[in-house]
Amino acid sequence: MAEIMTAKERVLKLFAGEPTDRAACFSGMGNATTEGLTRLGYKFAQVHLNARQMAETAATTSKIFDFDCCVMPFDLCVEAEALGCKINTYPHSEDLLYPTIKEKIIHNEDEMDIGVPGDLTERGRIPLMREAIGIAKKDIGDSVPVGSYVLGPFTLAGQIMELNDLLKLSFKKPDKVNALMEKLSAVIVQVAQEFEKAGIDYITVREMGATSDVLSPRAFNTLILPHLKSIFKEIKVPSVLHICGKTNDIVGFMMGSGAKAISVDQKNDVADTRKKLGPNALVFGNYDPYNVLVSGSEDLVRETTRKCLDDGVSAVWPGCDIWPTVPPENFRAMMETVKDYGKQ
Amino acid sequence: MATEERKSEILDKLRNAVIEYDEDSAKELAQTALDEGVDANTAIFNGLVSGMQKVGALFEKQEYFVPELLMCADALYAGLEILKPHVKQMDLGVRGSVVIGTVEGDVHDIGKNIVKMMFDVAGFTVYDLGRDVPLDKFVEEQLKTDSDLVCLSAMMTTTMVGMKKIIEDIKKKNPKVKIMIGGAPVSQDIADKWGADGYAPDATNALKDAINMISSLKKLKEDAEANKKI
Ligand code: B12
Repeated sequence: MAEIMTAKERVLKLFAGEPTDRAACFSGMGNATTEGLTRLGYKFAQVHLNARQMAETAATTSKIFDFDCCVMPFDLCVEAEALGCKINTYPHSEDLLYPTIKEKIIHNEDEMDIGVPGDLTERGRIPLMREAIGIAKKDIGDSVPVGSYVLGPFTLAGQIMELNDLLKLSFKKPDKVNALMEKLSAVIVQVAQEFEKAGIDYITVREMGATSDVLSPRAFNTLILPHLKSIFKEIKVPSVLHICGKTNDIVGFMMGSGAKAISVDQKNDVADTRKKLGPNALVFGNYDPYNVLVSGSEDLVRETTRKCLDDGVSAVWPGCDIWPTVPPENFRAMMETVKDYGKQ
Repeated sequence: MATEERKSEILDKLRNAVIEYDEDSAKELAQTALDEGVDANTAIFNGLVSGMQKVGALFEKQEYFVPELLMCADALYAGLEILKPHVKQMDLGVRGSVVIGTVEGDVHDIGKNIVKMMFDVAGFTVYDLGRDVPLDKFVEEQLKTDSDLVCLSAMMTTTMVGMKKIIEDIKKKNPKVKIMIGGAPVSQDIADKWGADGYAPDATNALKDAINMISSLKKLKEDAEANKKI
């Protein structure tokens, strides 16, 4: 493969199962970096609330480091907010704090039969997201794939009600939990379709609440998987299912969800996953976004990049959000290694 | 008065009610235990707590996951509620009180809740501040409740740094208080660096450490009192 592809060609061909000039190095989760924020002069607490700032911040990973994507938003509250939850962006704090839900809409079991607003896609930050995606597309969309993410139904349920209660009710009242997840799956599809209309090239569904650190593989299969299937069926752009933490026992289920690709983190034994899923399955991740990319040495960054490729990942892809404090030299070391080693 | 055999049968059933996360049976059996003359302390420790220990082992072996653990805890609390008024004197070697919470900016509280549960089980008085707790709140609550121990949880490398400030503040105001920290990004190394008195990778070790710390604290106090008398 002589010709050098644009990031967009590379990523789209990867999803289509076609050969690429080199391994892609991208992500489906948050793309905020302190380096980018500093250059733009933006505060982390603000960029969630301003479409232009969000789009510009998301574009910095590709502009500064030549990363193969541009992904927004950076937090996990968009859908919950559209459903009526209040969020906290910690405007007073100088530290790097991620937005959280400050007020849930379900306070007890009896409130689980929620009403979904008819104008859902005009609520909360959905309009802002559309605008931000549009800005990024215009800015770099010709050569860089623009991605976004939504939550999985279980993780979203954990945002709008107490996770402790949700976990217990999953056993005690599975019907109620299923009914809620069915509604939320429809919400997720609606939001994903809005993002598609706004122009995203691919989407990640983050179902981290259903990691095997928390929920058994059996419960994942019976309770979560059917809803994920119903979501992926409706998504048109290339899709990724992400779950962090322990996942080796559920990668088969994950792949069976209908997602084009799956994403795991460093707790997954990816060589084993590759063996299980065969040579053609798209498996991303396994790259430790903090202990390697942020606090590791440049050597460790290079070594990990090579190891992930050797173990059989289909793309170099940090196992969670890019952690903002990533040192620029580490980010560059990862990209250089992919460009060089990822050719074979 | 029940026979020894009957008593041990009741204890076994109580233990199983916790393991099988059967809240109703736990309540019923706690009452049966009282009615048939089983000592409340025994029912708690050889029934409920013993069941919870087994649950911990099942969790470690990944036969149980977090939902099962939480449901077992509910069964245990249900039995405890009935037995507690009849306890003569909880004798655990130590009795302590602890302030616990997940630090500001962090809503990951599954791990914290498990640690909290261990303290409840062991008869500690627990002041749970919840998650996303403003840093000053820990200092305030410790002073207000005069707790022996403050437990801080953080699951993110960004929020973890808040612990450093809390530790400094508490140690300034109240140098005798013991502070224990935990959560996935935390390590023994960090605990040492920031001057925390303890770190534990999981809930069982957290409890063991806490008991040791509080014993040493109590010993210090007793020695001080004894010295005063002389
Ligand atoms: C579930 C989860 C969530 C849920 C949390 C719901 C809840 N109520 O807790 C939701 C979806 C809300 C969430 C949100 C986010 N998350 Co999250 N999440 C997780 C996940 C998958 C599981 C954590 C968990 O509960 N584990 C199970 C429990 C039992 O284990 P534990 O917490 O470690 O607790 C044990 C020990 O640590 C110890 N312990 C815990 N506390 C204490 C305290 C003391 C004193 C002691 C002694 C011991 C102790 O004992 C416990 C029991 O054995 C992890 C990944 C993973 N698999 O670990 C990511 C993870 C923690 N999340 C992460 C991230 C990045 C986020 C977000 C920033 C994403 C975003 N873009 O917004 C947001 C942050 C929101 C915020 N500001 O807090 C990253 C953190 C990265 C880092 N290095 O900092 C992780 C590690 C994922 C990853 N692979 O990178 N998340």
